[in-house]
Amino acid sequence: MFHWLEKHPFFFAVGVFLVIAFAGLVEILPNFAQAAQPTVGTKPYTVLEMAGREVYIKNSCNACHSQLIRPFKAETDRYGHYSLSGEYAYDRPFLWGSKRTGPDLHRVGNYRTTDWHENHMKDPAAVVPGSIMPAYGWMFTNIADINTAYASQLTNAQFFSVPYNKPVPTKDGGTVTVAMANSVAEANKMALDEAKVITAGMKDKDVQDMVAAGKIPEIVALIAYLNSLK
Amino acid sequence: MNKLYVVGALFVAAMLGFTYVAMDIKGGMNGDIVNMLAIAGAVVLVIVSVFVVTKYVRQMQSDTAGGELAEENWDSIGEYKNPLPMGWAIIFLGLIVWAGWYFIVGYPVNAYSQIGEYNEDSAKANAKFEEKYTSLTAEELHNMGESVFLVNCAPCHGLDADGMNGKAANLHKRIAEDSVKHVVNNGANNLKTTFPGGMPPMLLQDKAQIDAVAKYVANGFKADDAAGKAAFTAGTCNSCHGENGEGMPSVAPKINGWDAEMVSTVLKDGKKGAIGAMPAFTNLNATQVKAVSTYITDISKGE
Repeated sequence: MFHWLEKHPFFFAVGVFLVIAFAGLVEILPNFAQAAQPTVGTKPYTVLEMAGREVYIKNSCNACHSQLIRPFKAETDRYGHYSLSGEYAYDRPFLWGSKRTGPDLHRVGNYRTTDWHENHMKDPAAVVPGSIMPAYGWMFTNIADINTAYASQLTNAQFFSVPYNKPVPTKDGGTVTVAMANSVAEANKMALDEAKVITAGMKDKDVQDMVAAGKIPEIVALIAYLNSLK
Repeated sequence: MNKLYVVGALFVAAMLGFTYVAMDIKGGMNGDIVNMLAIAGAVVLVIVSVFVVTKYVRQMQSDTAGGELAEENWDSIGEYKNPLPMGWAIIFLGLIVWAGWYFIVGYPVNAYSQIGEYNEDSAKANAKFEEKYTSLTAEELHNMGESVFLVNCAPCHGLDADGMNGKAANLHKRIAEDSVKHVVNNGANNLKTTFPGGMPPMLLQDKAQIDAVAKYVANGFKADDAAGKAAFTAGTCNSCHGENGEGMPSVAPKINGWDAEMVSTVLKDGKKGAIGAMPAFTNLNATQVKAVSTYITDISKGE
C-alpha cells in the first residue's frame, strides 16, 4: 500500500489532503454546528419586521451602522451584551456591517422607542445635536413592500427551515410562536394589524391616516424592525 | 596543519579587523555594555562559523562511503545504516517534554479566549469602579449623574433635560399638565415593581375638574389654588398620593417632585404615558442609578 503510494505521487497527494482535511473537519464542524444554533430568545421576523429589514437594506443603513457588538467593556457598557453568532440564525443576509459612522444597532430595541425613531428619522439633528445622519423623509410616504417580505418569509421557511408557526423558546423559559400567513392577502392583513400597534405609539397624523386607510408607509415597517432588535 | 585552516584563520582575522575598523569609525564602544555584548557575539559567531565550515569542507574532501547497507532500496539507490545523531536525539526528546508543557500551560488547556479576556476586563473594571466610588459626596454624585444622563438619557430628554419641545418628559418639572390629564383619563400602571396596584382610570370625569387638578399638580400644589385643591380631594387623589402629593410607600408615587426612589423606579420599570414610551434602563449599576437620581432630583429643584 505505502509502496504503491510512494510510486504514485498524485494519489499520495490526495491521501495527504484527505488526512489533513479530516483533521480540519473534526476541529471546525462540531463547533460551527453548535454556534450556528439559534440563541434562546431569538425569534423569526414577522412579516412587517421583514419588510422593515428590507427598507433597512434598501437605504443602506448597514453602510453606517453595524449590528455586531464586540466583547469589549466599552462596547457592552454602551450597547448591551456582546453579540452571539446564534442571534443571526434567522438573518438572511446578516447585516453585521463593517463600519460605524453611526452607533451599533444590534440591540437598539432595548433603549429606543417608536416615537424616538419617528422623531429621529424625520430630523436626526433635532434629537441628536450634531448628528450627521441625513433625514429620511421619504420613508413617511413610500409604501412598504409587504409582498416581497412575505416571499422572503416563505423562502426562509421552506428552504432554510426557519420555524414559523412553531413554538420557539424565549429567555423567560416559555415559548412564543411567530405566525406566518398562508396567502399574500393574509400576509398583508397581518402586516396591517402589526402596523396599527406601531402607529399607536407614533405622533405623525399622516402616517396614522395612511395605516387607517390600509396602506403601510416604510417608516412603520422600519420601526417594527428596529424595535425587534434586542 | 591543513591549508584550509590557514585560510580560515586569515579570514577570521580579516573579518575581526574589518569589524574593529568599522566600529572605530562609528565612534568606538563608548563603554556601553550592549555594544560590548554585540561585538563579543559577532566575534564568537565569526570564529565558530569559519571553523565549522572548514571542518565539514575537510570532511567532504577526505571521507569515503562505507558501513552496512540497509535492506530497503529505492529504484536501486541504497542507504547506509547510520547511528542516530546524539544532538538530534536530545532535541527530539526535549520536544516531547516541551509538548507536554505546552499542552498544559499553553493551548489547549490554558487556551486564549476572547470572552474570557472580556470577563476578566469587566470584572477588573467593575472592581475598580466599586473601589473608586464607594463613598461619594453629593457633588460627586451630581457630576457622575450628569455624565450618565448625557450618555443614556439625553438622546430623548435632551442635553438640558427639557424634553426637546415635548419629545420626552421635561425633567425640570415632576409632571406636565397633559400627563396629569392622560393619567386621570386612562389610569396608570407603569411602575409595577414598586407600586403593584397601579391607578384606576376615570376617578374624575368632569372636564373642568380634570383641568383644575392638572393645573394644581403640574404647578406644584399651590396653596392658593382652591379649585385645584378641591378637585384633587374630589377625585380622591389625596387618599393615595397624599394631601401635598408626597406619595405613599408601595401604593402611589410621589407627585410633587422627583426623588431618588421615583427615578430609580422609572429606570427599572420603564414608562408609557401621554408623551410616549420610555424603555427600562437595566444597564446601569446601582451607583449610576443613585447618581442619575441625584442629578434629576437636583435639576428638578433648579440646582
